[in-house]
Amino acid sequence: MQNFKKYLLLSIASLALVSCSSDDDNPAANNVTLEFNNTFKNNTIVLGNAASASATANTSAAGQVHHFSELKYVISNIRLVKDNGDEVPYNVNDLDKGATVIDQAKTATLSYVLGNVPSATYKQIKFGLGIKPEQNTLDQVRFPNFYAAAGANDTEMMWEWGSGYRFTKVEGFYDTDNKAMSIHTGSTVEGTAPNYTQGVNAYRDITLNLTTNAVVGSKAPKIKIKADFDKLLSGKTNTIALSTGTGMNDNATPNIHTAAQMVKFVDNLGGNGSSDISGMFSVTSVEN
Amino acid sequence: MMKNIIGVLLLSLLFASCSNDESDMIAVDNPEISLNIPSGFPQLNAFFSQNKPTKYGVELGEKLFSEKRFSADNTISCSTCHIRANAFTDHNAQAIGIEGRVGLRNTPSLQNLAFLKFYNWDGSKLQLETQPLVPIITHEEMDSSILEVIGKIKDDAPYKDLFQKAFGDANITPDRIYKSIAQFEYTLISANSKYDKVKQNSASFTASELQGYQTFQQKCASCHATELFTDQSFRNTGFPLNTNTNEAGRGRVTGIASDFMSFRVPTLRNIAYTAPYGSFGQFADLRSVLDYFDNGVLDADNLDPIFKDNGRRIPLTEEEKNNLIAFMKTLSDSEFLGNY
Repeated sequence: MQNFKKYLLLSIASLALVSCSSDDDNPAANNVTLEFNNTFKNNTIVLGNAASASATANTSAAGQVHHFSELKYVISNIRLVKDNGDEVPYNVNDLDKGATVIDQAKTATLSYVLGNVPSATYKQIKFGLGIKPEQNTLDQVRFPNFYAAAGANDTEMMWEWGSGYRFTKVEGFYDTDNKAMSIHTGSTVEGTAPNYTQGVNAYRDITLNLTTNAVVGSKAPKIKIKADFDKLLSGKTNTIALSTGTGMNDNATPNIHTAAQMVKFVDNLGGNGSSDISGMFSVTSVEN
Repeated sequence: MMKNIIGVLLLSLLFASCSNDESDMIAVDNPEISLNIPSGFPQLNAFFSQNKPTKYGVELGEKLFSEKRFSADNTISCSTCHIRANAFTDHNAQAIGIEGRVGLRNTPSLQNLAFLKFYNWDGSKLQLETQPLVPIITHEEMDSSILEVIGKIKDDAPYKDLFQKAFGDANITPDRIYKSIAQFEYTLISANSKYDKVKQNSASFTASELQGYQTFQQKCASCHATELFTDQSFRNTGFPLNTNTNEAGRGRVTGIASDFMSFRVPTLRNIAYTAPYGSFGQFADLRSVLDYFDNGVLDADNLDPIFKDNGRRIPLTEEEKNNLIAFMKTLSDSEFLGNY
């Protein structure tokens, strides 16, 4: 009977707590929308095939004109940083709920809505370009939805031989004779951090300061993020000239540009993790 | 009150005895299989100790190895390409998956895997348990997914029985599939060839085989080293190049420039049964491989020093080639190949 009384008291107390928070006119949480704008410098990219007249063309620092027919990348491990410095992780251990494939050909994928973000003022966003090694195992049981989305026939963001996901997939054409370019990135690491036994970790952690604080509460802010693919060939880390062929330095087609060549693209897109922690990304505005 | 307590006690006893009975029924004797480790073989792969072969684990793995429902259209199993009679290869230049799709590389033989540190031509896998998923999901191989596979086999009574016996309950999980296949593969040990018998003084080489063995030791054994007949290194030997844009050899795994178009030195055990040769089956027979070495290999920045420093060739007389082939045939293990 003593116990029963205790439990009754506890239940009443918790009921009281619940009603407290739901009565609040400033909600405990709200959505945050990440809106990705994939560009060459300031021009939003229009995709097109080899002969396309409407595709957005770009010229690299090495003087090579190029345009894309396909542009996809994976975002995961999203964290929002409060103005007091506290980090709020967003389903960072669940690819189904916290990771997405941004696909320039599918407008809906360019906006990624983070649900139920705790009410607070945020000054910074962090996310991963690609997937951390420990989650990059094509685990269909743990993450069936992300597995299905990434593996879909019109998405092809799987790297079967490496038992992992593709992190970036860019198909396109370069030089005036429209040679094929095909840049795929992904991790090949084996073993566990930090002492990988072999391979290349192509995951990059991105940190971006917000242009103005995002205030989550009664309003659901939108954070506009620019991904400037001009950086692919003309990055902060590497200036890359594309070449087609079967030699070890030829880099225009996938995988034959060895993991060594691939890392140059990875560092340009996602930063090198030390002197550059933003890569091609920047926040252009925050709508509160 | 007392009665109640006794009642509860009795009831719980009843349950306890019930569940005991059940577990007695479940408990199947599933002993570990003790592998005959051949003398002189290198250490076991580090992951072996985490997944030691058991009686039913191996039986299940062998059954899964021949399961055609691993493929999207139920036509291809592991054993479609890995045919025991050919030391688990398929005689195709490049592996052929569902709908006749041609893969990137030549099917590697499966033998003595428990003693290897690297798997696949490029050493992309260091652990056998992580390998089976790759052919299951690869477009040019089985083009399926592990949950699709489980969906197809989960209601089969023989599988439920074997999963129960191997793992203690009938749950079919991806990990158990990978583990049992690896367990089966760990048991594929070939060390009973004529060469082995000569080593054990229970057979002797012919004159030609002996001369071949001597040439082998002079001109081949620095790479085809140890009792596995591979030093497990990756080398660019200047073989004709696979121009498929997905091919970069070990370079695509490690990101190390000198690994570009480098491949694992293949074992020579059962080599007479695994034609054609090379990472994408460039050579129809052993003679063609030896002729190629003799005539000179392609140059490359990272061509193996053994070739770079010796005029890009391994000079061999016709007689030496004949003898080498005779020697290599002594590495055939007819028991392993299923010819008892």
